[in-house]
Amino acid sequence: MNSTEFLSGMHLTPYSAAAYAIAWLAYLGYLGRILLRMKKVAEEREELERTTTSNTAPATLKRSAV
Amino acid sequence: MANSEKANSDVEPSMKKLAPISLLLIVALLGITTYLALAVAPTEQTMGDVQRIFYYHVPSGWVAFLCFFINFVASGVYLWKRSASSDALAAASAEVGVVFCTVLLITGPLWARPVWGIWWTWDARLTTTLVLWLIYVSYLVLRRFSAGGQTQVLAAAFAIFGFADVPIVYMSIRWFRTQHPSPVMGGGQNSGLDPAMAHVFLANLAAFTLMGIVFLVLRYKLQMSEHGLESAHAQMALKGIA
Repeated sequence: MNSTEFLSGMHLTPYSAAAYAIAWLAYLGYLGRILLRMKKVAEEREELERTTTSNTAPATLKRSAV
Repeated sequence: MANSEKANSDVEPSMKKLAPISLLLIVALLGITTYLALAVAPTEQTMGDVQRIFYYHVPSGWVAFLCFFINFVASGVYLWKRSASSDALAAASAEVGVVFCTVLLITGPLWARPVWGIWWTWDARLTTTLVLWLIYVSYLVLRRFSAGGQTQVLAAAFAIFGFADVPIVYMSIRWFRTQHPSPVMGGGQNSGLDPAMAHVFLANLAAFTLMGIVFLVLRYKLQMSEHGLESAHAQMALKGIA
């Protein structure tokens, strides 16, 4: 079955097509938003870990050899 | 702090695995439900093909109700135990519920216009549903913009009172004679669905429930992760002061 045959088997009206298109957009858009926020949180966490390790000062201070 | 860091480190690796799986699952569920509704379900006698909106409209409403119920229970648990996980579940379920309720409120007028000749009417079912949507949007706004340490408590109390509208929405078409049709399933002797339609409807209901669970799991994990990050930032700031 090609895509034309597949689409001709769908019983669509302009209103139902609009309803289904909007529902797809809403659900996929929301999923995309969640995944982007997850990515942002992961990046922020990595950045925080980098900052923490680079700012770590030694607990004991010793006199320089020079 | 140690607990939230541990919880966060547990969440991070599973997020990376969940992202592609959830994307595939949601696309597959949307594809299957659309195919069942538009190609498999029989055409309705009176309304014709536009009635096929029903297979997205009603399951969206069902998932919205389910999410608001989870929000109600999680808010109660938060007020009782003050646990971060119940607060995260409450926030996640409210947001997912609002998304599904938005689809419900958009697909409804798109069905009403060709059938009733109007986009909207202020009847009991439509009005109480719009109020329900506004209640949970207000809940999310409260969580987002309220300052101070009592936000979670305020939000939980708000959610418990807000949930009172859910049974009113459900019962509105039973209590009042409205423009909105009477319930098709469980609506008395003169109600019912053709068996071929009922099969598609139940399949879509199950698929939408699964879709709602996927969104809820992802959103809950995100909420917990953001909470862990906030705690880590706070810890950093305290170390800086010390």
